[in-house]
Amino acid sequence: MKELVEEIAKALVDKPDEVQVRKVEGEQVTVLELRVDPTDLGKVIGKQGRTARSIRTILGAAGMKLKKRFTLEILE
Amino acid sequence: MGSEPSPSPAPTPLESYYAAIEDLARKIVKLGGFRLEVKLRHLEPVDEHSPATIVDFSGPDAGLLLEAHGELLNAIEYVVLRAVRLEESLFPKISFDCEDYRHMRVEELKLMAQVAADRVRDTGMPFPLGPMNARERRIIHLALNNRPEVRTESDGQGPERKVVIHPASSPARR
Repeated sequence: MKELVEEIAKALVDKPDEVQVRKVEGEQVTVLELRVDPTDLGKVIGKQGRTARSIRTILGAAGMKLKKRFTLEILE
Repeated sequence: MGSEPSPSPAPTPLESYYAAIEDLARKIVKLGGFRLEVKLRHLEPVDEHSPATIVDFSGPDAGLLLEAHGELLNAIEYVVLRAVRLEESLFPKISFDCEDYRHMRVEELKLMAQVAADRVRDTGMPFPLGPMNARERRIIHLALNNRPEVRTESDGQGPERKVVIHPASSPARR
């Protein structure tokens, strides 16, 4: 799941080498922390947060198949 | 790459995006563990507003893709088209679809537009349609282009943005 977010983020940004995803496993929820170059923040968030929302939808659906909950946090 | 002179003002043709679109869509499907296949299908466009290329998903997870008005399909489409940096003017030329869902939805929207326009004509009252994304709102606007008795406006912000059909006689909002 980490790889999924990583690949999507790398495709969206101008500086793919700066993309980092950290997985923090909790009891109920696994948090994926996404870090990108500050100049690329807009690329992963999108207009009115639409890109971030779309990534979360994909992550949620993929998690459902594994019967696990994932949340995406975009670190600034 | 890089050394070729670029004949700049010419817009990037749709074909040049195909490989990147297919590649990223397949990557998302694979890494997301979705049991889906991705195929590009090319159509003879009916008119200048209709899609020329369908990014077609099929397989056991089609239901998941189409759940909640195609939420996952929409999300994959949005992310992929952003990532490949598709020019906005080409957005209507490409459509992500699964089991003809989009195609049927377009027909449904056109019908909905006509029924709502009849109602506005008969009652003289504005009629708001439900929230829609830009692509769907565009279908409504275009469907009512040839109905001089009504005019359409978009209203609201973000995911709540919707089309309101007004009688043509009412003053346009500034």
